[in-house]
Amino acid sequence: MMQRIHAILPWVVAVAAVAALALLVVQAQRGAAGDPGAYHLERFGTIPVSADGRVKPMDTVARTSLMLLSGRQSLEIDGEPQPAIRWLLDVMAQREQAEQYPVFRIDHPDVRAMLHEEEPTENRFSFAQIMPHWQGIVEQAQRVSDVPSRQRNAYQRNVLHLYQQVSVYMNLHTRRAPYMIPPSPTNDEWMPFEQAVQEAQATGRTHPAVTAYMTIFLAYHHQQPAQFNEAVAEYRTLFTERAPAALRKANFEVFFSAFRPFYHATSLYVAVFLLAAGSLLLRGTTGSVWAGTLAQMALALLVVTFCLHTFGLASRVYLQGRPPVTNLYSSAVFVGWGTVLLAILVEGFHRLGLATLGAGVVGAVTLIIAHNLAGDGDTMEMMQAVLDSNFWLATHVIAITIGYSATFLAGILAIVFILLGVCTPWLSRELNQSLTRMVYGTICFALLFSFVGTVLGGIWADQSWGRFWGWDPKENGAALIVLMHALILHARWGGMIQTRGIMVLAVAGNIITAWAWFGTNMLGVGLHSYGFMDAAMRWLFAFVFSQLAIMGLGMLPPHLWLSAQTRNGRPAARKAPAEGTRTSLNRL
Amino acid sequence: MPQPLHRCLDALASLKLTVALFALSMCLIFAGTLAQVHGGIWDVMAGYFRTPIAWIELQLFVPKQLATVPGVVPFPGGYLLGGLLIVNLLAAHAVRFKLSAKRAGIIVLHLGVIVLLVGEFVTGLLADEGLMTIDEGSHASFVEDIREAELVVMDRSDAEVDDVVAVPESMLTTPGRTVRHDALPFDITVEQWLPNSRLFNVPPGTPTRATLGAGLQLDVREQPPATGVEGNTIDWPTAYITLHRGGRPLGTWLVSTFIQNPMQPVTVDGRTYHIALRFKRTYKPYTLHLLEFRHDRFVGTQTPRNFSSRIRLVDPTQNEDREAVISMNNPLRYDGATFYQSAYKEGDVGTVLQVVRNPGWLLPYVACSLVALGMLIHFGMHLVRFVGRAVR
Repeated sequence: MMQRIHAILPWVVAVAAVAALALLVVQAQRGAAGDPGAYHLERFGTIPVSADGRVKPMDTVARTSLMLLSGRQSLEIDGEPQPAIRWLLDVMAQREQAEQYPVFRIDHPDVRAMLHEEEPTENRFSFAQIMPHWQGIVEQAQRVSDVPSRQRNAYQRNVLHLYQQVSVYMNLHTRRAPYMIPPSPTNDEWMPFEQAVQEAQATGRTHPAVTAYMTIFLAYHHQQPAQFNEAVAEYRTLFTERAPAALRKANFEVFFSAFRPFYHATSLYVAVFLLAAGSLLLRGTTGSVWAGTLAQMALALLVVTFCLHTFGLASRVYLQGRPPVTNLYSSAVFVGWGTVLLAILVEGFHRLGLATLGAGVVGAVTLIIAHNLAGDGDTMEMMQAVLDSNFWLATHVIAITIGYSATFLAGILAIVFILLGVCTPWLSRELNQSLTRMVYGTICFALLFSFVGTVLGGIWADQSWGRFWGWDPKENGAALIVLMHALILHARWGGMIQTRGIMVLAVAGNIITAWAWFGTNMLGVGLHSYGFMDAAMRWLFAFVFSQLAIMGLGMLPPHLWLSAQTRNGRPAARKAPAEGTRTSLNRL
Repeated sequence: MPQPLHRCLDALASLKLTVALFALSMCLIFAGTLAQVHGGIWDVMAGYFRTPIAWIELQLFVPKQLATVPGVVPFPGGYLLGGLLIVNLLAAHAVRFKLSAKRAGIIVLHLGVIVLLVGEFVTGLLADEGLMTIDEGSHASFVEDIREAELVVMDRSDAEVDDVVAVPESMLTTPGRTVRHDALPFDITVEQWLPNSRLFNVPPGTPTRATLGAGLQLDVREQPPATGVEGNTIDWPTAYITLHRGGRPLGTWLVSTFIQNPMQPVTVDGRTYHIALRFKRTYKPYTLHLLEFRHDRFVGTQTPRNFSSRIRLVDPTQNEDREAVISMNNPLRYDGATFYQSAYKEGDVGTVLQVVRNPGWLLPYVACSLVALGMLIHFGMHLVRFVGRAVR
């Protein structure tokens, strides 16, 4: 009976997770299909528009704009949280009301002081509060724009940011952005609303979209929900007839934003980590059969989460029509994905829950990093021509990112090894051997992929500007990763390092990879910078120090390792339960 | 083999040397990356990677805001480390490796590494690249090396050919130095040399260092050198020069890479010469005419979507006259050189082509195929064995 329970539990976890996700899908879809409120805001949100060179739903414009202004994706209006699309509609069609919303986040006290407000503690301001001081802001911003971006101080950056925020707002407000009028037989590009209105006045021919938007905005302005909903539905029908693909994509994107797969995946990765850590704890302390069961449950949950992660990644590829890695944000999503995939493969060979544990950590951390990199703006931005749709570039980025993934997997497994060995008595001979094999194999894999990735990058560079290798910071970062792995392997083959040495150097691999991934991007920023990259730099330093500390632990002489002491002191007492775990694992 | 020689070969073949070389290479690359925060990529390449000895400034590792650290340390440079790696590999194969199927992957891989290193040597020594800037509707037959400037003195009195004397940058960078040459109609004394600069208009009548020419209305400000981390930025040199004829000063001119056209006239004894500081030119036997330049952007943004140049290639020596389109990732290969779409002139009025001549361009491709193949064979064999064991 108990055995049956142990066998079933992983499935229960998997099914429960899938069911919970299904519920979230239904919820997100209901949101996209229409809301119980008087206005069908969500349907308005699915209308395709063009902004920053990409066709996207109005909803995405609302979210990214509000994010840029206030750092949030929703807004409290009359004490109730309202979606970004409601705010955008107010900005476009209820201007007086929208001007009172405190949406402009201003962090710098000196910039705040420009507004002469009574309460200097408040950090979000309304358009109405800013407008009287607009002239001064423009003057300051002009002064700043003459200073090279690397030399700007915190005040100057914040002034410029405020100027950009207000410009974004004004463009929405005057309907110059997004480009709302789709291409027509007489015009093959998207157009801003105002321009289409002027053209209609000049030529006498009115684009049907102009009429539709006028009806929608008027109905909303005069608070006529029925007319508003009807006009939105009609306009969407027009799209279904003329450009069904654009509307389908827009619908999907609204669903994608509401579903937030990466957000849920982050929580699930944390759960995976907790389960796997529990398994490890049980294995070390009691050797109970539950250790194996927990490891299996963690793996089951990891597989489900990985599917969710894959769905998110695939959705972005579909929406963008580009390979999965296009910017720093998507590289973080992809590094996490690759690490989890490799961890699942490794776990297939060594069913100990260790790779699962590592996958939980790396999966959650990379998605949190991605979330923070999203910052403000659309994460599916368009790329510069040279970075666009080139076979070598696409394969280069993917290979190099998988190389990062493998390095981080080896690194986290090495961290598990060192922490288990030094701080606990649980690093049994069996765990020791398995971890060593896992790390060694992963490093070989990482060397292969980072080398191939670097080479593909060289081919791309040679094809694009005739320089296979240019010694620029990013290329050097990639070379460092290749050399690091080559160094570890040759040192091992030459007998210069043993297990402990491999582990310590694998952790060093984390530092090198973090440097190649983020450090090289921060080089140009310098110490004077503020804002996001400053925070990122602090985190990078913190990460490097943490890894150095772990390496220091790993370099302690073996007799100081708790695991070694226990193994030498009481070998039998510890070994028996470990063996027990092994058999129970095999049975499972 | 005599004993000492054997011992020497063993040391050269040792894995310890390999690991040490890897570690040193990593240090060098890291320092060479940091150096690009304040230095130009070409200087760093020459000073760190394409040299036997690199002199590393200690200041690199300490932010200037924290402390000033003087001093440089010598460090093995790219040529030395690369050369030693090749020696190490060859020695290892001579001493340790036996030809066997099990070793096949490693041998192929190491062969690839050698070709890769040799390829970088060849590129470093023989490759040469420059820019060709052509306005729409116009043509060009020379390549500019944006890393080096030259001062040219031109005699246009002959209707058929212009008589040009070019003074290389290396003779201009020392203030106070006087350049004398029989071919020059006057002596040139360098008053001031600015490796990177910006020019500003000043109201007429404002005193400037120049006494004649375009410099009367211009002021110059020194700029920090363009750094590697900023990407494709260029240093724009400017200089003040005083011209003498028979010990008698003719005046002080401002010459700058910013004002290459039109050239400034200098009249000596009733004869007019033209002077300009410009990027070093290499003339080609052929001419490229820019027929059309296209620069598309994404709707409503400044983000470029693509650029392309439709050009006409005219080479009388080869009796060639044809059209070609050069676009992003789609270069033109001609006469041993490759023309890449690199940039555009402000306002899309012209194109900038990167012209690269690299006799070793194929080597990295061969090398990388070998290394990747070797790794696949080697790790593949391991993986098959491991999976086989795991399955059993």
